[in-house]
Formats: sequence, structure tokens, C-alpha cells
Amino acid sequence: MSSGDPADTIVAAATPPAKSALALVRMDGPRAHSMICGLANREPPAERVATRVTLTDHGETLDDCVMTLYMGPRSFTGNDLVELSLHGSPLVVENVIRAALRCGARMAEPGEFTERAVLNGKIDLIQAEAIADLIDARTSLQARMSLANMAGRLSNEAAGIRERLLFVISRLEAALDFSEEGYDFISREAAGTILDEVIRLEETLAQTYERGRATRRGLKIVLLGAPNSGKSTLLNTLVGSERAIVTEIAGTTRDLISETIEIAGLPVTVTDTAGLRASDNLIEVMGIERARLAASDADLILYLIDTTVGRTVADNDELSRLPHPPLVVYTKGDLSSGPVGELAISALRGAGMPELFCELDRTVRDRFAVRSDSPAVVNERQIAALRDGISALQMARETLETGASEEVILVDLYRGAEAVERLIGRIESEEVFAEIFAKFCIGK
Amino acid sequence: MTDRYDVVVIGGGHAGAEAARIAARGGSSVALVTMARQAIGRMSCNPAIGGLAKGNLVKEIDALGGLMGEAADRSGIQFKILNRSKGPAVQGPRAQCDRDLYAEAVQNLLACEANLAVVEGTVRSLLIEGSRVRGVLLIDGRLLTSSACVVTTGTFLRALMHSGEEQSPGGRFGEPSAQTLSDSLRMLGLNLGRLKTGTPPRVDRSSVDFGRLVPQPGDASPRPFSILTDRLELPQVLCHLTHTSEATHQLIRANLHRAPMYSGQIAATGPRYCPSIEDKVVRFSDKPRHQVFVEPEGLNHPWLYMNGISTSLPSDVQDGVVRSLPGFEEAVIARYGYAVEYDFVNPQQLEPTLKVRGIEGLYLAGQINGTSGYEEAAAQGLIAGINALLAVRGRQPFILRRDQAYAGVMIDDLVTQGTEEPYRMFTSRAEHRLLLGCDSVYERLTPLIEELGISDIERLRRAAGRRSRMRAACAAAEQAVLTPERGTTEWLGPLGIVLREKTTVARLAQRIPFELKDFVTHCREASRWPELTWAVDGLSDEEREGVVNELRYAGYLERQQREADSLQRVEAVAIPGDMAYELPGLSRELVEKLNATRPVSLGQASRIRGMTPAALSLLRMHLHQRGRRADGAAGAVGKVSRSSARVGPEGQSDRSGSVRSSG
Repeated sequence: MSSGDPADTIVAAATPPAKSALALVRMDGPRAHSMICGLANREPPAERVATRVTLTDHGETLDDCVMTLYMGPRSFTGNDLVELSLHGSPLVVENVIRAALRCGARMAEPGEFTERAVLNGKIDLIQAEAIADLIDARTSLQARMSLANMAGRLSNEAAGIRERLLFVISRLEAALDFSEEGYDFISREAAGTILDEVIRLEETLAQTYERGRATRRGLKIVLLGAPNSGKSTLLNTLVGSERAIVTEIAGTTRDLISETIEIAGLPVTVTDTAGLRASDNLIEVMGIERARLAASDADLILYLIDTTVGRTVADNDELSRLPHPPLVVYTKGDLSSGPVGELAISALRGAGMPELFCELDRTVRDRFAVRSDSPAVVNERQIAALRDGISALQMARETLETGASEEVILVDLYRGAEAVERLIGRIESEEVFAEIFAKFCIGK
Repeated sequence: MTDRYDVVVIGGGHAGAEAARIAARGGSSVALVTMARQAIGRMSCNPAIGGLAKGNLVKEIDALGGLMGEAADRSGIQFKILNRSKGPAVQGPRAQCDRDLYAEAVQNLLACEANLAVVEGTVRSLLIEGSRVRGVLLIDGRLLTSSACVVTTGTFLRALMHSGEEQSPGGRFGEPSAQTLSDSLRMLGLNLGRLKTGTPPRVDRSSVDFGRLVPQPGDASPRPFSILTDRLELPQVLCHLTHTSEATHQLIRANLHRAPMYSGQIAATGPRYCPSIEDKVVRFSDKPRHQVFVEPEGLNHPWLYMNGISTSLPSDVQDGVVRSLPGFEEAVIARYGYAVEYDFVNPQQLEPTLKVRGIEGLYLAGQINGTSGYEEAAAQGLIAGINALLAVRGRQPFILRRDQAYAGVMIDDLVTQGTEEPYRMFTSRAEHRLLLGCDSVYERLTPLIEELGISDIERLRRAAGRRSRMRAACAAAEQAVLTPERGTTEWLGPLGIVLREKTTVARLAQRIPFELKDFVTHCREASRWPELTWAVDGLSDEEREGVVNELRYAGYLERQQREADSLQRVEAVAIPGDMAYELPGLSRELVEKLNATRPVSLGQASRIRGMTPAALSLLRMHLHQRGRRADGAAGAVGKVSRSSARVGPEGQSDRSGSVRSSG
């Protein structure tokens, strides 16, 4: 079993091991308060009151610090919890943790504090995942999305769905168990209407996954085109530094070169690739293979065409082989003008660059960025539960349509309700818990 | 004077009769102690057996060697399968019975048991030696020693009857209350609570204008409960329907202060699902009328049972209420309705065998455990009787799983959750409901009594015959292949069956509508599949329905069985009896709950309300460390609780138990 014993008292540093003004250490579990008050050599202070104490271990002073006690269940984890604000010395942190271990605490497993909070019902699984995402956020849009889910935006949607399902379930159950009472609990039409609404709600949520996932993970943009079409120059311009070597020699770029920039609030990894052409050079052939592989995995492809050369048969051939329609960009616009109506740039001179940025920004916003007014499904676990739910409810809907008896429809409705429970994470196998919490860093 | 028995059963109601008979059948010497011999098998309330979910219990009792089905068949005067329009899993057979003939049938069935002695008397106290039951002491000084004792005292413990402002001690009209046994149970450390139930007025049949009532016939071809019944002997009669009106409700509202439940005279909790008429008027004030089923108390009985207006209002109000019903304008009440308040034992103090925890040989069954209804009582009586018998013989206990029988669901609910109101069986309490249809009880349960070594040759023979006939028919249907060639499609034409691809008769049966009987007749005329026609011809109507259901619901049944099996892994993690729940990390509230229930398995622990995944994982970890049967049962941590989805007749959600995680 990978998750630790919930009866243990655990300890971990909540801030990174580096010199800083302050460092935070957390302890959680049934003996957290008694252990720390032992080290502070005093009675426990009132809960939630920051209290200055001196921690000593066997006569040795560990630190002069601020301690705050939280009493379960009124704590983040739902257990008795202590937060110590120490002086930000890695050595002090290490000594305090060592003293706690000597008192009988053990080192927390990755994510164990949050796991305890979920197991104790303080937060649900979606919120726990959002905490992890917030900590990993690289852009403010990512942070905003995580904060929304932490505040329960997605959970609330799920709760609304769950409530509607329970309404239908309870009335269908009543129709079975109280059929002799002479009441009309719910008509088939009404049940069907609510189910349709629930399915629609779930499908709408499922549709947010594309944006949620893209926003959480970021995007991959691959620059593709014939040799010497200006891919490396564009990369350098996009990232604002001389990242790729640029020469006039066609085929200078052999390997993939990636840099991450932010577009419309998403971290976007832009990858420069080897120019596409028939070649005998083994290294260049391998580079071209990598370019094609990168393109197959890209969210967005920028296909570059040298204005001075124009669109060639080889370009047409490459364009027809792409997994999805690219954004075609005519380059070297300072030397010659591109076709009317097409996006043309001169990365060197900066001409057309605002238009390109604008176009990229628009594309990312339209297709990938999470909408600020909508909840978002952000990971594989969530979408899997949601899809299970949709398929169960669609089955229930079909069974309802065939005129089947309530108890048969209910089999699928309960499955649908369980899928919603799984989405919220209220019922989840322990393996999944362990898998999720292994992704946290210690002390969170 | 001392008499020696293996098992003493206290009480001759529906629970006591089953317990006594099964224990005697199993070869124990049994004494059934009752206040009055002629009261054995008496129907205290409505003259009917079965109903939704309750009918399933009766079939389960029959499959396990109990007597309720047989007694109902011998006394049934109107048989009807409820929820007929719905699937087999939720259909509930019900029989209107002749009240006197029912009691007579029970008494006759008991009289056939050579090992069973009926002892008339009142129990003063239980004899307990250390932590073991040794027998019972009667009020007249007689001593009956035994190594097991089944207490089935129904509503008689410290019973108090209320009719308007009048109160009188007694468990049933004209019968005394058992005053001292409660103390005996309390002295064992048992925690007793108080419940209330009620019964409606009985009306003199000759004073009713039947022309103004809506006749309610039974099924055209009545079907017996018991596999042992070949033919129903009694004539079948009509029930009738009438209803309350605004005038009725006004009268009740004007006299509410005289109803014991509202005046504060009764503080105990009554059954939410079988409310009194005053309850209905108050709680469902928006309903302009309530149904009243008018049921004969017997073939020649002069009284009618007024199903739907259970009440403890004073007699003058009852007169007014009854006379406000269409057809009852001139009605004369032969016996007034009353409420009865009685002691019950919180069933969380019982093991899943219905044995009192910590007292060897002492079993409780029926209304004393907080249930309501004859069927619920009888099913408990049967299980308690079987376990008393097995304990006497020193054998392993008999516990039905939740996916095996409604009886298993009920007992697990009782001993795990306890109850705060009289517990009634509902199909929605069973999460594996589709597996628990009446049509499969003999296949599911009868083989179990063979393992128990209870001799019941005729029942076993019939069940085995039924099983092999149904199996043969299913197999023949699987093997009968149809291909969409011209001859076949034209032959199918008159039946309205369209064939697009190769299929089997088994798969055809999944289509709705599909009538196997008609299909087989059609086959016979064309000499198609003689094995199939032969196999289906050999089936009774009930067996044929069973076969169609099995074919039709095969996919669902398989899925539910898989779900049930996967939960078994958690069930298999046993919790030792001496488990100390005061573990660091467990909240005081949960420790209290765990100590109240003392679950025997992790599965049972998971069903305790309020159990959190954290607490469950802590328990699992602890058990693992104790090194007992830690087989890594991880599985899904929960299920949607069925109780979450229950609503009362008024259609309002029962919010007390929303979807919970467990498991």
C-alpha cells in the first residue's frame, strides 16, 4: 500500500530547501500537537493563534519561531495540524524535522497532507488536483483555472448533476416501491427530459476538456517548412533571443530546438525543425523524420513558405500530409511580397509580426485557452469519469425509451451517479488515490 | 417443574412460528412458549401476506423451508402479483387471506412437527448463566431449560395501547402485555427503545353499500406462493376501493389535539411508510384525497379491514371519519383502530445471525428488532431459528449475503445501521435488486438448506425438478438458431418477428414483446426444434416466465453479479470480535458507531453511515497489521447508497441519507 497509515503523525517541510527569510514546516496527525508542545516546552496555545515559541531538543535550541495549532476537524487536513514558521535556514529546518522524527513522527509521503484532507472529506479530489495544478502553474491563466476548481467550480457543476440524477433516481425508486399508493411520482417524459438535460450538461463539461487540458499542459507549436524558409529566424523572433543558429545555408537546423513562450495565457512550446526535403545525408534525414514526428504531435503547425521561392510542388505535397490544417506563413516579406490575403512576415524587419502574434493569440484563445466563464475538466481521470457517466446515462436514456421497467433503467442510472461520484472523487479505488497523490511534492 | 429442550422460542407470531418449525425440522427439540395457543399465527393487523418486496421475502422463506407461503396458500382468498407491468425483480406477489384460516394453517403446520411442543404461559425472565442462555422461567414458576432461546415477542414488550385519550396495557386487542421480559433484556445490558405502530378500524360488512365502491379483483389465474402448493383450494373474492375527501380531512384536523401522536401522549416513532390517516392529513396536506382499500377479513368473516386509515383517534372521530367515505355513510365500526407503543431492542446489538452479541444462544427476531410487517418478522424468525439450530449442533452460522436475498439485505441493514422507525422492506434497499427476483428464489436459496442438513425432501425434489426443467429450456433456446433465409422469415411473419441477422431463440426472447408460449406453439405446428417445444411444454407458467426473464435480463444479471462479486473482496476481510476501535486517527463519533455495530467484516463496516474513506483505510491498515486475512482487498471504495434514493409516497426526497461513499 503506497499511502501511509492515517494514524501516523507526519512531518515535512512545506517550503523548498533553500536559504530564505522564512521556512514552513508542517506536522499532522494525532500526536502533532503534543510532540511540538513538547519541543516548545509549554502547554498548547489556543488554536489558530500564531504563538512565538523557542523549540529545544535535549537542551539544544533549534529555533526561535512562530507556531500555529489547528485542531481537527477545523484544519486543512481535518486532523490536528501544526504549522511552524522557522527562520529560513535549511539547517534549522533539518534539525526541527529530525527532532520531530525522534518524537515518533515520520516523514510525510508525497502529497500526504492533501490526501488526508481528501480522505477526511475536507476537500474533494477535483480540489486536491487543482491544488497540485496551482503549484505547477506557469501562467496566470493556469493559476486562475486552478483557483476556480479549488474554489469548487467544477465540483459544483458535478454536484448539480448529481442532484438532478438523484431526483430522477429517487422518483423512479418510489414508482417501484410505492406503485400501489396511487401517486404519480414522475412521468417517463419528465424523467427523459431531466436525463437529456443531465446528459447535455455532462457533454458540455466534457467539451471543456480540450481547453482544460491544453491550458493545464500548454501547447506545442511546430514550425515546419522547406529548408531555408526562415523557421529558425521566426523561432528566434518569437522567443526574443538568438536561440537557433541562423545561416543562409539550407539545412542548418538538424535537430529539434524548442523554447517555451506564453500566448494568450498558455505556455506554448515552439519547436524549430529541420527543413523538409529529399536528402541523402543521414543526419539530415533523421532530423526530417523528427520534424515529421513533432508535427504529428503538435497542437498547431506553422507552415513557412519563402516568399522569394513561392509555394512549390514539394510544399503542396507536405501540406497534404499534415495531420491538421496549418497556419501558412509567408516569410522574408521584406524581399518579396506574398500572395494577397495570406499572412506575410519579415521576422528580420519585424513587418507582419504583430499580425502573426495577433493571429496566434486569436487561434489559441479561440481553440485552446480555457474560458474564464466556464468550468473546466482538466485531466484524464476527470474526463474518463465523465465519459463513463455519459455512456451510462445514454444507455439509461435508451432503455427508458424502449419502455423498460424502472429497475432496469435504474441499473444504468446508478452507474451514471457513481461516475459523478468518481469525478468528485468521493469514491475512488485506493490505487487511484495513491497514483494521484504520488504526483504531489512533499509537504503539500 | 423443569422441562428440557434444545431451543425455546418465546412468542407464536410470524417470527416465532418460523423459528420453532425450522429448528424442529432440523431435529432439535423445541418449545414454543405462547400466552395463548389459539393466538399462534394470528394476523394482528391487515389480513394479507406479501406485497412489494414483502412478497419476495415470502418466496425466500418458502425456498428456505419456512411455512408462511404454505399458510398463505391455504388461506388465500385473493391473489395478485403487484408491479405486474414491471420486471420480474420488482414484482411482488400478495395474497388477501382469511384471517382465521391463516392462523389455523400455521397451527396445523406446527402440529405436524413431532419435535415441537407448544407451551402456554408467560415468560417471566430469561435464565442466563455467565454469558450463555440456559432457558426461561415462566410466571407460573415452570422452568424450561434450553441451550438456545429465540425471543419473538412482537409488539408485546411493555405494550401500551392508545385509542384517543384512553390507554390500556396490551400488545394486541384483548391480549395482555409482557411486562417483565423487557427488564430481563435490560439486565443483560441491552439497550431498548420505543416504537409505535397502529391498526385501522374494522367495519361491519353488512353496514356497507358496496354499490358505491370500486371493485378490485385479484389475478385471473391466481398463483400460489409455495413450491409445495399444487392447487389453491379457496374461492377467490373481491376487494374494494374507496377514498377520503376534504370533509374527512377537516374532521381529522379539527380533532388532531385528541390524537395521542399529536397530543404528546405517544412519544415513540411510528412507521413513516405506513402512516396513520392523521399523519397523512398533516404531512400531505396538499393531497385532496387518500385511497382506502376495503379488504375482507375472511370468506365468511363479518368484518372489513380499512387499509389506509390506521388511526388512534378517539372512537367518535373514527365513526365520523369512516362515515365520510363513499359507501360507508351508514357504516358501523366493529372494532376501533388503535395505536400500540412497545419496547424494541436496538438491532445493532445483534450479530448477523440475529444472536445477541456477547450472549451465547440468545436470538431475537421480528418486531422486537424494530421491524414492521409479518413478512419481515417471519424472515428473521426463520434465520434466527436456523442459527439457533446450527448453534445447538455446534455448526457454522448461516448468514445470507445482500446479493443473495432480501432477507440478507434486511438483516444486514438492521444489525449494521440499527433503525429509528419500524423497518419495512423495500426493493430499493437492495443494491443488487435484479438478482433477487421471486422467479429465481428456488435456484438461489433452496440448495442452501440442503447444505444445512435440514430434511425437507419434497421441497428439495420440487426445486431440483424446477431447476433442471428451466435449465433445459434455456439451453434449448440457446441452441435454436434462426437464419434470415426466406423460409424462416416467412414463417416468423405471423408472429410479427422481423429477422435481419442470424440469431437464436434465446436472443429473440430479449425483444419486447416476445411471448415464449405462442412462439413454441408456432414451432410445434411447423415441427421446428422439438427439443425446445418439449422443454417449454414441460414448464409451469411460473417456470416459463422464469426462463424468459433469465434470457431477457441475462446481460443485466451478469453485470449485477459481477458488481456483487467484486464487493465480496471487502466482505471477506474479517474483523475479529475483540477488535478495539479506539485507534488514533478515528474520530470519537466513528468509534462510537463502530462500537455500536461491531461489524464482522470490513464490508459491513463500510456500510455504517458516516464511515469515511479515511476511517476505512485506517481500519484496513490496522487489520492488515494484525495479520488476519489481509488479502489486499482494495476494490472500489464505494457505491451509491440505495437509501439515498428513497422517497416517501409524497414524493419528497429522504434527505437524511444522501449519496454516500462507503465500501
